[in-house]
Amino acid sequence: MNHTDDTRKTSGWLRMITYLLRHRAIGLFLFIGLLTTVVSWINPAFLSGQNLRDIAVQAAPICIISCGVMLVLVAGEIDISVGSMMGVLAASMGIMVSASRAQLPPHVAIALTLLIGIGMGLFNGLLVAYVGVPSIIVTLGMLTALRGLTEIIMNGAWITDLPDEIRFLGTGTILSIPLSLWTTACVLAVTIWLIHRTPIGRRIYATGSNPQAAQLAGLSIKSIKLFVFAWTGLLTAVATLVSVPQLSVVDSGIGIGTELLVVTCVVVGGTSVNGGVGTLSGVLCGVALMTMISTVLIFLKLGEHATYWSRAIQGLFILGAILADHWISNHKK
Amino acid sequence: MRDPDMPSLNIQNLSKSYGGTHALRNVSLKIHAGDIHALCGENGAGKSTLIKILSGVETPDQGLVQWNGSHLSLGKVHEMESKGIVAVHQEPVVFPDLNIVDNLYAGRELSSGMGTWLNTASMKQQTRDILDSLGEDLPLNQPVGEMALAQRQMVSIARALFNQCRILILDEPTASLTTRESDALFKTVISLKKQGVGILYVSHRLEEVFQLAEWISVLRDGILVSTQSSKDLSEDALIQQMVGRKVAYPSRQQPVNTDITKNKPVLELKALSRTPAYDDIHLKIHAGEILGMSGLVGAGRSEIARAIFGIDEFDTGEILFNGKKFQNHSIRKAIDLGIAMVPEDRQRQGLALPLSVETNLLLPSLNAFQGMTGLDRSQMRSISGQLISKLGIKTGSPDNPASALSGGNQQKIVLGKWIHQNPSLFILDEPTRGVDVGAKSEVHRMIIELAKQGSAVLLISSELPEILSLSDRILVIAKGHVSGELAREEANQETLLKLSLPEEAKQSP
Repeated sequence: MNHTDDTRKTSGWLRMITYLLRHRAIGLFLFIGLLTTVVSWINPAFLSGQNLRDIAVQAAPICIISCGVMLVLVAGEIDISVGSMMGVLAASMGIMVSASRAQLPPHVAIALTLLIGIGMGLFNGLLVAYVGVPSIIVTLGMLTALRGLTEIIMNGAWITDLPDEIRFLGTGTILSIPLSLWTTACVLAVTIWLIHRTPIGRRIYATGSNPQAAQLAGLSIKSIKLFVFAWTGLLTAVATLVSVPQLSVVDSGIGIGTELLVVTCVVVGGTSVNGGVGTLSGVLCGVALMTMISTVLIFLKLGEHATYWSRAIQGLFILGAILADHWISNHKK
Repeated sequence: MRDPDMPSLNIQNLSKSYGGTHALRNVSLKIHAGDIHALCGENGAGKSTLIKILSGVETPDQGLVQWNGSHLSLGKVHEMESKGIVAVHQEPVVFPDLNIVDNLYAGRELSSGMGTWLNTASMKQQTRDILDSLGEDLPLNQPVGEMALAQRQMVSIARALFNQCRILILDEPTASLTTRESDALFKTVISLKKQGVGILYVSHRLEEVFQLAEWISVLRDGILVSTQSSKDLSEDALIQQMVGRKVAYPSRQQPVNTDITKNKPVLELKALSRTPAYDDIHLKIHAGEILGMSGLVGAGRSEIARAIFGIDEFDTGEILFNGKKFQNHSIRKAIDLGIAMVPEDRQRQGLALPLSVETNLLLPSLNAFQGMTGLDRSQMRSISGQLISKLGIKTGSPDNPASALSGGNQQKIVLGKWIHQNPSLFILDEPTRGVDVGAKSEVHRMIIELAKQGSAVLLISSELPEILSLSDRILVIAKGHVSGELAREEANQETLLKLSLPEEAKQSP
């Protein structure tokens, strides 16, 4: 009797954990709440308005790019080139607007930057969808090639003379809320609309869920894949425009490691690496959690070791998320 | 009498070859709206190729297709669907992570404003209507991948019905359905026919063909052998046309061993339970015995089989193998003990499709070919050659990928890969699902041969004649419980069916 009670209790726990892992947004939300409570108890400054705003601004570009990379994963592909795309975009934008270089008007430079972003995304998409190269290889190649291109463009120099109009993109506020947060909100709204309210959104999920069935249903898998890569390129350009001008200096190292952070956020947020599954709410929580981690380590007053830990913890989270997916698929019945 | 003005799908001189093999040669066929036209033929006869061309997945080398007098541009799924020519494929092709609504509407979503706004509410409503008309009550929000095979098939049929279809192509629609689900499907098919839909019905189950179709066309080796009215055709004549020779339905009139139960039990289950799939299962299988396991799809039969083979865990009870408790069980341990399993879904679970026929055949026993310097290729080649000829697998070379073979030949590989290991227990889950008549009788002969050599066989099948003709004893499972155990002599189709039905259904006659 006692024995059965025990097993029932554990299976209740198991069920709860499985539920929270499956409904990733709820699980992560609770975890973020717990983490915030603990950290602010140790150091109340964590909950200060300034700190929360810093975290949000730091999260903004990651969140914008994640909206694109999430759809790439849902379509059954992956994009690990976004960090180097940011590098190219930052360098070319800097050169276009710099008072000592091309001196293009800011709005022209912004439009061209967006086009370059779409162009790089299209290039990824063409190689994956139409040439048939696996996306991990295509974007790995682009990761290296575009970083090299950035270094060639910058030629070892720094750009320090961004005009005020461009600096405004990074530092300006509307109704005392930073421009980057407004932009993020817009991107989120468009992504929600895209996923839930348009045929193309449904087709991205269908393609990742079963490519063969998608083909039989008459979907153009190639154009869907091309779309998600181009969309990611565009969003990377948007993220670059609102984040790089926060700094007064553009160098050739911008965006290094961003691709890994973005993929971590997306996967921790419950997007399946096998395609077909992913929710925006989960990804949003993934972004919130992963950007909090580095700040949390500082606020826990662990000293300089904190920064050493942040990358290891990021890695543990991505492994944990993939293990969680396995756990869920093993406990389906 | 047929109205000559009824629109028709006119197929003229279609040819298609893959590499050197002619899949279709000069096939001409006419399907009229409001007719049920059956297409019969062994696996590999060219039916799948014809279906692929008609659904726009493949482009023919030659020939043309007209709908109502106008030419169709071939090789485009959209073109075919927009004309109302829709195929429901044999293996239910669905999007496992999407719910029913998204499955039905994939590729033809209802939207307004140039595709910028989905009409979710009306899509949901229409989905409910179509499910009601099919008499199905399925949850709209559950991912389809979590549903049973029969339900997934229904989703894929619903998807076709949905498309205002004029010509519906059903490829082995009842292969995974129970008798009752099949009856529901037949009703739907007949009501569609009355609405003027033309139906191309492809099936290996000849009773269905005669029950439903007005016209029967037979394909053999890519050539259209005949198109006849079903009234002018007998079942024997049809089979003869399909295979080009006479096939006797193999049956095991006399048990090999008159008192098999005196043999030692190979497998014994004691009060095996796993909630909610099955509960308190007791069974015994003796050496040389074929134990049939009958029941409806979803009754828990496959789950029991999976537990025996160590794929899934069970909650309570025990499994005895040759009198010894089978502990810490795993698939590897089950194989080492001499248990072989042929799974229900052979494409997904039984074969490595891109790998060669030889590799597939020798996969479970690769260790045996391990020499000092790696695998002994020449020995592998000779053993696989023996198996291929013994099993009658039709393949050009042992190096061909398994995916290039027909369904029946694939099934022979799945069975064959265990045979030369001489397992003491075979678990066969729907071994002839989607297999044509000729290959089916060969598979049946193989099963009987296995029992003769002293293996115990657990045969799970939804096809009652198959269970009745092969089994020594029959166990019926209903809703996870053993609802009856019958000797071969006591069993007939009616008793098995009655025992299979869940309690509520049994009370109302």
